[in-house]
Amino acid sequence: MSTTSTVSDLVSKPYQYGFVTDIETEKIDKGLSEDVVRLISAKKNEPAFLLAFRLKAFRQWLRMEEPQWAAVNHPEIDYQNIIYYAAPKQQEKKASLDEVDPKLLETFEKLGIPLSEQKRLSNVAVDAVFDSVSIATTYREKLAEHGVVFCSISEAVKDHPELIERYLGSVVPASDNYFTALNSAVFSDGSFVFIPKGVECPMELSTYFRINSGDTGQFERTLIIAEEGASVSYLEGCTAPMFDTNQLHAAVVELVALDDASIKYSTVQNWYAGDESGKGGIYNFVTKRGHCRGDRSKISWTQVETGSAITWKYPSCVLQGADSVGEFYSVALTNNRQQADTGTKMIHVGPRTRSTIVSKGISAGHSSNSYRGLVQIGPKAVGAKNYSQCDSMLIGDQAAANTYPYIRSQQPESTVEHEASTCRISADQLFYLQSRGIGFEEAVSMMVSGFCRDVFNQLPMEFAAEADKLLALKLEGSVG
Amino acid sequence: MVVSSRLADRAVNDAWARRLLSHLPVPSGELEAVQVRGREALIRQSLPSRRQEDWRFTDLTPLKALDPLSLNPLTAAVGSSLPSAGWPAPAPGSLRLWLDGRSDPLAGQTLPPGLSRLSSDDLHQALGRSLAGCDCEQHWPVELNQATVSHCLALRVSGVIAETLELVCVADAQHTLRPVRVLLLLEEKASLEVLQVQLGSGASLSSLVVEAQLGRQAHLLHGLLALGEAEACFLGHLAVEQASESRFRSVMASRGWALSRFEPRITQRDGAAHTELKALQLAERDQLADTHSQVRFLGPDGALEQLHKAIAADQGHSVFNGAVAVPRQAQRTNANQLSRNLLLSDQARIDTKPQLEIVADDVRCTHGATVSRLQADQLFYLQSRGIDAATASRLLRRGFCQEVLRDFPAAAAVWNPLQRLMVEA
Repeated sequence: MSTTSTVSDLVSKPYQYGFVTDIETEKIDKGLSEDVVRLISAKKNEPAFLLAFRLKAFRQWLRMEEPQWAAVNHPEIDYQNIIYYAAPKQQEKKASLDEVDPKLLETFEKLGIPLSEQKRLSNVAVDAVFDSVSIATTYREKLAEHGVVFCSISEAVKDHPELIERYLGSVVPASDNYFTALNSAVFSDGSFVFIPKGVECPMELSTYFRINSGDTGQFERTLIIAEEGASVSYLEGCTAPMFDTNQLHAAVVELVALDDASIKYSTVQNWYAGDESGKGGIYNFVTKRGHCRGDRSKISWTQVETGSAITWKYPSCVLQGADSVGEFYSVALTNNRQQADTGTKMIHVGPRTRSTIVSKGISAGHSSNSYRGLVQIGPKAVGAKNYSQCDSMLIGDQAAANTYPYIRSQQPESTVEHEASTCRISADQLFYLQSRGIGFEEAVSMMVSGFCRDVFNQLPMEFAAEADKLLALKLEGSVG
Repeated sequence: MVVSSRLADRAVNDAWARRLLSHLPVPSGELEAVQVRGREALIRQSLPSRRQEDWRFTDLTPLKALDPLSLNPLTAAVGSSLPSAGWPAPAPGSLRLWLDGRSDPLAGQTLPPGLSRLSSDDLHQALGRSLAGCDCEQHWPVELNQATVSHCLALRVSGVIAETLELVCVADAQHTLRPVRVLLLLEEKASLEVLQVQLGSGASLSSLVVEAQLGRQAHLLHGLLALGEAEACFLGHLAVEQASESRFRSVMASRGWALSRFEPRITQRDGAAHTELKALQLAERDQLADTHSQVRFLGPDGALEQLHKAIAADQGHSVFNGAVAVPRQAQRTNANQLSRNLLLSDQARIDTKPQLEIVADDVRCTHGATVSRLQADQLFYLQSRGIDAATASRLLRRGFCQEVLRDFPAAAAVWNPLQRLMVEA
């Protein structure tokens, strides 16, 4: 009974994060040029090496072309019609949350992200990013006791320039692709995490990204470093208001794991997806890559992708250290006119490296959902193992589910296994559940969450529940 | 810099085609129009490059290494070395035809009842239709064939043919360009087994384009045994259109080519047909063996069983891309695809990419891929039963090949496919 009402509650709600916060924002003029790159750098008082990094990236970007190979279509993006820097007017990061503009705090409260620490029950530290800048980071003192650095990347540039200089761009070079070059030139903020040797991060870390302005692009940058024997679990959430125009979000996430370190990175992506006819929504062109540099290190990606008009995202692992492990668990749901081209890359370099890929795609409405993955076993990856499973579920006969798994092996002493299947919500399963008194919507939602269980099991507890609800909500009215 | 290297590539590629065209005889004969079309296309298009998704893993260096100026479709008439050159005698109950792409293989032959030569009008009406139906009439390898071929073996099949049609093409002289074109029209309920044997050696290029149209309830078994040597290159294209309730089975085995690219493209026009694709390709030394298949279901209730096997040894490189398209109208499609790869050396390379594009919701589509060497537990199982390691490994490799080879038309036995395809450890 209670669950039924929950589902109908959810179903009655449209995109609930679509509001705009009316707050004074400092924006620079539209357009991108070398001067804009210099201006962003100057606004952030950056050291010379970072400006050089940005300018080099910008010059590379000018010479590059937008990638065309993904199974997504969109009108040409006018990169000169985007604002590359927008910040709530409140330049100095406040020492205490009491000084933060209450409107901002209210925004995050509305999003279900309480920033005030005393109200916070669960053991999660949050970094909140609003448009181009980080607003607040909670639990910093407690983390500092353990030597963990968790702050915005702008602060890290000031406080730990040596770490930034050493690691920024070391996993995802600026010239990696068109969008990383763009990001490297204009990135404004993001999160920085450093877990020193032997430390197990005492709490979950989380960043919450919010785009507020209608004509702003968001270009955040996340860098997580886990030293020898360290471990951390990191969550990322994103929402944006509803606008009729498309907004560009081109983020870069870099993870570095040294010997015996482990990083778990979970994302629940719920950017505004556009309306039913495909108007508006975020273009989510993200490059995420983890580098298992040390022996026995482990990087695990878990993602629940439900938002964005277009998703172009391939969280990857470069498994360099011997015996290192890469994991990718993904649920990608598309509805209406959404397009997703997502998957992973597992690059096995070191010996006895192992990787697991579990991808679940659900396509409904007129959407298109592609899994694109690469498993590459290099010549030195003796004893490497990969197992991939990618399943698609189709809801309605207008949605597309595509699978493009690339497999390349150059090492005979290795094993690659890949399997994939496509199915739908079958009428007899629905009938079975309904004949036992379970309502239609709930039956569908049960079947979808059963389909995704392998992935949800990997999510931290509170995220798993949220993800389940999110899927039910997103599928509203698409079955039948 | 990127741009200039692209332009340079393009210039080299264009030069290859231009030089090839420069010494071809003036278009003439029954395929004059086809030749004109192909040559115009080759001038327009450049050689495929690895920047194109379809050619990403396919290094055309062995093809470019063939000197286009000396590649001549007219040299070395097949008759000269035939049939005394120690070719195996055709199996009983099979009709052997020698194809050279320019003379008429049917001259002096009696065709069995039910098999007839297509009239010139019918030929021109039907030629190219399946290429268009399979969306590949503008592919570079097809245009290359069209530009150079001067004869097409065009047959109408109007009954159950007991004889196996054995089509043998040999490119054994240096600098031979051997374009072969075949067109098969199977009427309702017709049934035919074809075995094509493509042999290449020396610096030669074999180009094969087969078109087949299957009427309702027709059945075609197409076996292709492609055996090359040295610098020989092979480009094979199969365009098959199936009417409902028809059955098409393709069995392919290839070995020894410096470069081989096989592209079976099947379109089930109204669905409800059965397609079976089996292939075994070997890449040894520094060879490249590539299969790009595409199956499209344009109606409901279609079925596909596809098994692609590859062995890469030495510095060999095996490529497989298996596209399956299930659009909205193709409800209740049942498509299964499996790519199994044996990697026998640490300098060899396997690239495999199943590719499913599905819109219909009531379908069952699966695909799987494995890459490994021989399974240690299988070897152990055999050894624990007293079989020595070498024999056990041989047995497993034999089993790996036989799963495909056993489906060849029986007439293939005279060519000893297993013996020719077994890799020695």
